[in-house]
Amino acid sequence: MPGIPSDSSSLIPFALEGSSQPPPVYPLQHGLRAPIHRIHISWSRGNLLNVTCLRPPPDQQEEMAREDDGIGGKAIEVLLGGAILEGNIGEHKRRRIAYESVKSYAFLHDKKISLAKMETGDNLSAPALTYWWQYTLEYSKSIRDILGNARLHRPLIEDPKNFLKPEEVEQPIGTKAAWELMEIFYVDMQLLSWLPERLVDWLEGYDSLLSKTETVHSKLAILQRKVTSMRVVEDEPGYWNGLAAALAVGWLDVVAKLLRLHGSYDPDQFDKRETENGLVEAVVLLVSEMPRMRPNLPNGKLGLCYQTKHDYIKGLEKWRVKVSGLESSPFWVHCNHRPTRDGLINLLHILLGDAKHIADATSHWLELFISHLLYIRPLTNGLEGMGNLAEKCMNLKPSANNGLTSLLAGILSENPEIVLADCLKAFGPWIVAHAVDLLTANSEYTDGLLNEERYQLGGASIGELYMLVYAQALASHPLTWQVAPAYLSTCLNQGRGLLEILLLRQPVQNYRVVLKTLEICHLYELGNISTHIMKMAGMYQWKHGHKGLGIYWFQQSRDKTRLSQIAHKLFDNIGKSLSDDSFKQWEGLMELLGSDVGIAGGLEFLHKYREFKRSLQQIVNGGTVEAAKKSTELLVQLMRNPSTPQRFWLPLLLDSVKLLEWRSGPLLGVSETNLLLGKLQELSMAKLRPDFHGGELKPNALGDVRLALAKNLGRAILEES
Amino acid sequence: MADSGDRRRFIYNLHEQSKPVGAVRWLPSVSPFLRLAAMSVLSPPAIEIHSFSSQSPNPNPDLNLVSSYPLPSSATSLTSFKSHNYTLIAASTSTGSLHIFSVNPYDGKIESQIISISDKDSFHCGPIQSIDVETSSTGECATAGEDGRVNLVLVGEDKVENFRVCESDGLVAYTAVKWGSPVEFVTGGVGPGLQWWDKRRPGGPVAQFKGVWGRGTVTGMIHSIDIHPSRKHTCVVGGSSGAVYAWDLRWQQQAITLAGTGLEAKSQPFSESEVWEVKYDAFTPQVSSTKVLPVMMCSEDGFLAVLQQDERPVQLLEEPCAINSFDIDPQNPSDVIVALEWESVGILSRGREETEMA
Repeated sequence: MPGIPSDSSSLIPFALEGSSQPPPVYPLQHGLRAPIHRIHISWSRGNLLNVTCLRPPPDQQEEMAREDDGIGGKAIEVLLGGAILEGNIGEHKRRRIAYESVKSYAFLHDKKISLAKMETGDNLSAPALTYWWQYTLEYSKSIRDILGNARLHRPLIEDPKNFLKPEEVEQPIGTKAAWELMEIFYVDMQLLSWLPERLVDWLEGYDSLLSKTETVHSKLAILQRKVTSMRVVEDEPGYWNGLAAALAVGWLDVVAKLLRLHGSYDPDQFDKRETENGLVEAVVLLVSEMPRMRPNLPNGKLGLCYQTKHDYIKGLEKWRVKVSGLESSPFWVHCNHRPTRDGLINLLHILLGDAKHIADATSHWLELFISHLLYIRPLTNGLEGMGNLAEKCMNLKPSANNGLTSLLAGILSENPEIVLADCLKAFGPWIVAHAVDLLTANSEYTDGLLNEERYQLGGASIGELYMLVYAQALASHPLTWQVAPAYLSTCLNQGRGLLEILLLRQPVQNYRVVLKTLEICHLYELGNISTHIMKMAGMYQWKHGHKGLGIYWFQQSRDKTRLSQIAHKLFDNIGKSLSDDSFKQWEGLMELLGSDVGIAGGLEFLHKYREFKRSLQQIVNGGTVEAAKKSTELLVQLMRNPSTPQRFWLPLLLDSVKLLEWRSGPLLGVSETNLLLGKLQELSMAKLRPDFHGGELKPNALGDVRLALAKNLGRAILEES
Repeated sequence: MADSGDRRRFIYNLHEQSKPVGAVRWLPSVSPFLRLAAMSVLSPPAIEIHSFSSQSPNPNPDLNLVSSYPLPSSATSLTSFKSHNYTLIAASTSTGSLHIFSVNPYDGKIESQIISISDKDSFHCGPIQSIDVETSSTGECATAGEDGRVNLVLVGEDKVENFRVCESDGLVAYTAVKWGSPVEFVTGGVGPGLQWWDKRRPGGPVAQFKGVWGRGTVTGMIHSIDIHPSRKHTCVVGGSSGAVYAWDLRWQQQAITLAGTGLEAKSQPFSESEVWEVKYDAFTPQVSSTKVLPVMMCSEDGFLAVLQQDERPVQLLEEPCAINSFDIDPQNPSDVIVALEWESVGILSRGREETEMA
């Protein structure tokens, strides 16, 4: 059950009823001692999960808590399904692929947009489409290069006993194999007529990925290890098995190299083996002259190329006559070495397309499928025929399917949805997001299927959905999230919303990161999002005491509300203390706020206020009449000045009480007292308004001021009259 | 990429790092064949010393990690310098600590730690955004932080002294600092202003430059300052909105715009994003002695370019991702090392033909 842990170190996900596969179990190391009392799970960024494990509270298990040095719980981060590609490549390689592929992807999409603009309608017309597959092919090739192309390294000096390509160069990655498979079937229209031969080449590159133990490649790898220590290779059954296997899948160069290791080539022989040697060499010759229905062969590969079907059939017939001629030749009688005779004849049977021998030589159904295409049905064309053949081979050689084989099966069944779903399962979201363009390159049907807006997907198409999945995977990593916007921006229905969420969730602590996020906002014209981010950054900096940086962000985002709040707060504080230190602070803040302080008076007011406060202080400490008069003057100036904020009137009036009660006669004249009375009256009216800022004053403060003013007025009238 | 004509005379190699690289700096090299570079990396935060051989037979040398100095948090600023025949590296971090250590100039191995300061009260609380070491006489390190403090750190015979030059209580956030002379330095921060400080006149900056960024339509931050040793009265500044300008102490009221939406309406700005670093480029020949010396800049939108007053910018690199930092080798000004956002480091060698052509 969810929520209750089963044992101390693992969490079991909730299994759906009726699901055929057992739920996967991911052990989670939390390092806490059993029992675990409570587990909280919450989503963090992307597919990062926060799991908090809590032990029982101490009052229940007091003794145990003491033993554990008081560790009551732990929070762990769990990255779920973080694979952008399948398992055998490292995290940094995955990120590298993500970085590199975005260029190709963006380039293709820019092309698509500019082509669509050139055409009047929304859909690409026929002439544009004919170019389109070439663009897609370029794209596909660039992606293929990103996935690694270092496999064709050759040593300078070739050891004759090394018939396999050196393994250590680079283990092929499944994603690349899947990508090439899709390119073969969906993009490259020129090479469609040589489809069988392309599949032969493909298998040569990726045979080792089909299965760990049961492949031609694994057979040959074992043989390669043994061959250096073998004295008489032709006595070993492994040698002949390997030969048959390599021939069955068409690795002719390997076959030729292996045959030349035959003992009959050895110059120092005791027995006469010339006939035997001649037979081996004849087979080598036939193998290297095998007709191949393809435009050309890479260096070092064997066979004779035929461009057209007609020439190929003619060549094939001639060659088959030669092969069967050798098979029925009288020389076999003179071959004394039995394994050699049997092995060579087996090879000839494979060359002639004997179904039984081919089936014996291959291990995996896909290998069987390829050898059928090579020797039995070399002119197979069209997915339907291939699909039937593949089904037959699967029945003949039931082998465990993996991502690649089910991908091929999906392609042959002509169902793009299955192809994408299989890819996602086996190779992760990266390949699917990028492969949608391959699948739709040449087929209007697939294009419609994958790019049609679907109500049940919230208006998104299948293609967009896969794009969103990949973008989500990118967004979950702090290093790759900057790549995600390029993909989200191509998702017309939901991409924009997700992009906004992604940008808003970026951390605002570091101003450089904020600037990078704002740059992306700028790129995709998300003005309101950048305003939000700047406000968040401002709040963070303000809260952490970086007032300058905080105000900078508020000003950048034109956040009038917060800036005026800051100004209000500033003035609230000014009344309280006027020490030099805090004054410097206010001065600085006021300078930063600049025009944002608004009509509040700004620096001019601050300086006058400070001057007044200082002179008042002197009087309280016992000052002269002159000092008192000067301070009265300052008071009147402040009160007359329209830039003095209203909120300061009352504190100023309260301060004036000290001057009003000056013992040696009134300091304020009638008109000045009337000015103050007028302000007091205005203040009493303003007090009724809801937006009044009164500060923290005694309730009878107004009354005190009124009384003092009235007294002073009386004294002033008497004096002046 | 850059103009193909230029490209041919350049050798540019990318080195994938498999971890994010913040800043890069050349280290003084003693051998012409073995070059050393320091870079600040994340996950885990450290300063790494890499070496590569620059011998001609190998046009594509690999960067090899020689040594690594762990940091308590991510590095915010990095600088390398020579002092008394020692190669020293100074780095500041986002948690307010400063580290200086020495490196063997022959093999790049870390020899000893000289300074490691971290004190919230007497030093910095919060990220130190920029440091600069005065190398000609005093060897003092100036640190400027987001907390609004500017400190000077003096490395003595057997003790480390630091004293506060400025404490603004967070009213100003400093993001760049650069020495102009053994007693004067410049700081820059949020908002377009620059402050010129003189150690002999404590209490506050002796001069302030308050330019209006982009004709008042935008304001920005200063990310980098450079001062040429032969023209100590002029500093070049790089910051937000692609702005690169020069400020002359003798004409304080007006700055000379080299790039970006500047003070006066000029032609189309070259780059509109953040200019992360600016440095005087000794390799590009100077056009006129009355003008600002050529300046190299790198930007968030992936440009590395050389700017000259009243000339078109010469674009050296155009990367698909941000260039966060670069350094021109003081010994071989033709060589530039750049740190890219996508976990890689590039080394650009500008050929000699370039000078002949120009």
